[in-house]
Amino acid sequence: MSADITYFVLFCILNTLFAVLISPFFISLIKKVKAYCQGRRGPSLFQTYYNLFKLLKKETVYSNKSSFIMRIAPYINLIFTITAGICVPLIFIPNTNFFVGSVILFLYLLGMAKFFMAVAGLDGASTFGGMGSSREMTISSIIEPVIILIFVAFAYVLHTTDIHQMITVSSNIGGILFVKPALFPLLIALFIVLIVESMRVPIDNPETHLELTMVHEAMILEQSGKNLFMMELSSAIKQTILMAVLINIFFPFGFAKTLTFSSALIAMVWFFLKSCILCIVIGLFESSFAKLRLFRVPHFFVLAFFLSILTIIFEVFA
Amino acid sequence: MMTFLETTITPELFIGIVKILLVFILISAAFIIAEIDIMTLLSRYVFQSVLLTILAFVLFLNAKNTVLLYLCLLTFVTKVFILPWYIRRIHLKMNMKVDTGFRYLTPTTSVFVSIFLTMLTYVCLSPVLEELSLSPLFSMGAVAGISLAIMGLIIMFSRSKALTKILGYLTMENGVLLIGLFVSELPLIIEFLVIIDLIMFIMLSIILAFGIDASIEEFHKRLNPFPNWFTKEYFKKALKEHIFKDKDEKRSGDD
Repeated sequence: MSADITYFVLFCILNTLFAVLISPFFISLIKKVKAYCQGRRGPSLFQTYYNLFKLLKKETVYSNKSSFIMRIAPYINLIFTITAGICVPLIFIPNTNFFVGSVILFLYLLGMAKFFMAVAGLDGASTFGGMGSSREMTISSIIEPVIILIFVAFAYVLHTTDIHQMITVSSNIGGILFVKPALFPLLIALFIVLIVESMRVPIDNPETHLELTMVHEAMILEQSGKNLFMMELSSAIKQTILMAVLINIFFPFGFAKTLTFSSALIAMVWFFLKSCILCIVIGLFESSFAKLRLFRVPHFFVLAFFLSILTIIFEVFA
Repeated sequence: MMTFLETTITPELFIGIVKILLVFILISAAFIIAEIDIMTLLSRYVFQSVLLTILAFVLFLNAKNTVLLYLCLLTFVTKVFILPWYIRRIHLKMNMKVDTGFRYLTPTTSVFVSIFLTMLTYVCLSPVLEELSLSPLFSMGAVAGISLAIMGLIIMFSRSKALTKILGYLTMENGVLLIGLFVSELPLIIEFLVIIDLIMFIMLSIILAFGIDASIEEFHKRLNPFPNWFTKEYFKKALKEHIFKDKDEKRSGDD
């Protein structure tokens, strides 16, 4: 039992540290791909690290209208996101009975993180913050059924509601797509969820601060210094976690079988490479779409919903 | 090549491919429901027809029935080339780029209604299909076919422009073809006649739709250039006009 706990603690530390370290890189990589698509050189691949480091050194300024929510929200947001990260293994799958990979737990942790981010947006008492929170929560409430439906489909096919188990089963059968190619539409649905949850084009443009279009950026407009650092870092980690769900369920190769330094290193490299490919796909996808008008956004979700519900119908009945 | 494909497609892979194709055929119909740009609508229809062609080919590889191969070729030639080419040609002449009018149902509601109707179709059809003792996959193929036909109907009554309604009709016809592929085994001559009928119908309806908003004096004038439409020079000219018009619009937009 104590060995199990040690193994699990080691998993938590490694998984979290790895997620925190590589997440900013993926944000930069997507920006770089988009810049290349626009014929520019783009910022350095380490620019997000520099930005985060700069924010860490800056003073935190609070609005005189804000309450304690504004002060605690960034910490809670980061903690919830990091905890959600434990639900998705990146390097190795701990063979323990702690059931930390529960889909419900994972979704609610991310939901709670988003809730505190939205509350902090309102707490600043600025028009933009409230507007951003309202938009983000509207979008979240529409995408929620799609996410649940996707995980229901996975639970039906893989006979488990634990993400760790899902990845283990998928890994044991050599990749879920190779055994059940009909689940390919779910990959697209999950990709749409990734785009929506990380607030990227065509839902939101994380690089602009246009008052008419911004969603996520409006919500964190009142944040500064260390608080903004935490908010930005949590968004980057959330993106990595969602990418890991997609990558590790559909392409579950490269995991460390035994926990040695070399095998963990190889697993890290594998995950890093797979994620880089996904980032390039995201960058190309973003470059080929214009931002959708807010009232056309639900249709984008409906397509993901349609894809997942059709996959379930065909998997259950055919 | 054929032998290679036949040996590569295992039963599991066959079921997987058919399921993916069915899902994407229905998704393409959902895209047609929501799209407002007419040229994009047309390309979505072409995509749907290509998927149907692939589906017919995959079924041919499985069943080795040459009728399916002919059907695949027929669908490819008529629904991927002839009909879209004709509609595009007519569209080039029409002064209309988008169809933003949605009646009774918004795009999002239409997709939700489609999901509901797909489920309803399954519930209503499953007792009938059980009697036909079809495999679950083929039963779902029939359900997808009827759902596609219903989605075509939704496109027809929820959109305002005649050209979009015609694309809705074509989607509906694709649904009928899908049912034909999975449930009934119609003789090729019947399928061929259906296609000929379809082409005639589309030609007539588009020609008539072209003057639908014209006054009595204008109507003859609008229909008059039709005989010239099928000459190469006329098409080149129309295409050139269309391209320059697009460029001018973009330039004025930039300004």
